[in-house]
Amino acid sequence: MNAAIQITNLSYRYHDGTEALRGVSFGIAPGECVGLLGPNGSGKSTLLLHLNGILPEKLDYNGAVQILGQPVTADNIETIRRQVGLVFQDPDDQLFCPTVEEDVAFGPQQSGLSEAETKARVERALAQVGLAEHGRRATHHLSHGEKRRACLAGVLACEPTVLVLDEPTSDLDPRGRREFKALLRQIAATKLIATHDLELVVELCSRAIILDRGSVVADGPVVELLNDEELMLAHGLERPHILRHRHPHGEHQ
Amino acid sequence: MIDHWVGHHHSRLESPMFRLPAALKLGAALVIIVGTVVARPWWVGWFVGAALLLAVTVVLSRIPPLFLLKRLAWLSPLVLSVALVNAVQPAARGSWVVVAVKSTICLLTVTVVANTTPFSKILRVLRRIRVPDLLITTIALMHRYLFVLAEEAERMRRARASRTFTRRRRARWQTLSTVVGQLFVRASERAERIYDAMCARGWK
Repeated sequence: MNAAIQITNLSYRYHDGTEALRGVSFGIAPGECVGLLGPNGSGKSTLLLHLNGILPEKLDYNGAVQILGQPVTADNIETIRRQVGLVFQDPDDQLFCPTVEEDVAFGPQQSGLSEAETKARVERALAQVGLAEHGRRATHHLSHGEKRRACLAGVLACEPTVLVLDEPTSDLDPRGRREFKALLRQIAATKLIATHDLELVVELCSRAIILDRGSVVADGPVVELLNDEELMLAHGLERPHILRHRHPHGEHQ
Repeated sequence: MIDHWVGHHHSRLESPMFRLPAALKLGAALVIIVGTVVARPWWVGWFVGAALLLAVTVVLSRIPPLFLLKRLAWLSPLVLSVALVNAVQPAARGSWVVVAVKSTICLLTVTVVANTTPFSKILRVLRRIRVPDLLITTIALMHRYLFVLAEEAERMRRARASRTFTRRRRARWQTLSTVVGQLFVRASERAERIYDAMCARGWK
């Protein structure tokens, strides 16, 4: 079976010469939920932008990124973008339509779905994130937590097989974070979550990848990696409290 | 704060005017504005009629008159300065009254419609009358990000103010120019991110 995401020796340099990614390689199997960790500026967001072809600017490269067995190229970019849903870090970057329902409808409309199908998808996605009653509201009047959920609805409406999230719980209050985590747990797609929220990683992911200075420095089971205090501290992270208070032999719930 | 300057009143409002179809309101506004612009100065009946109609609309819309006056004051300086120039020019003496009346009627019409019609409905009407898609998208984006930019400007202003320890005017202007420049840079960077986010959902 093809990997949902397969990255082979991916490097990327910004225009100003900053080397953001250096020889990154890893694969993610369908249905897996993986946490992407690393200090600020380690290249997490840059890596995520490669997954549906926003980067590099010219897609004429060698198939370093493959989604469900297909290399990301200029020819199949539309298919790739339908398969990979990307939730951006700042909701205000993503919610650009005047009302919530129009924003959620954007993706389906772009893929040329009929009005009825678009409407059905919008209703389904809004209900899924708990915003069924808020479709008519102006996007700039939503609270931060609601904006996050509206962003997720906008991506879910495209029915992606791979869901990629960039710091989905930053700036959320504890309740918002809890609700968002519960929401993510319900979504069946393959998930790659770049985050500093280590509790989220422990609760949702089975595997973690640590990125530092553009390279993968560790890749393995969440509990094993996050329990390795030395490794965590060496890469600007720390062993999460949720693991400190766990019984060493008990399965995490 | 931001909503106070650029926001609309309708988010807190329910009134008969609010419930009227957007197309009807926009059509009527267009007739009033075009009519007022082309009206000859001696068509007093037209001006009085338009003013009365507006007065009734304001009452029906339940927009507080003080809010409308503030909005007018905010929008008027440009037109009023034109009226003022007319007032001091011997050749155009008398026409300043006409300029002031015409501009007030037009501004009031736009303000009342904008504050009783959600922006998304206005866009829908524009789409129905086949205004080019690109223009509608541009207007929609402008309206959406006006708030984000205004908030960003306000945050930067506060951050600057909290570390500004001088009352010298020159320093204030310097600060302002930095903020404006920075806002421009941030706006263009945000535009790039928005474009990326649109592409990520299949924008062609």
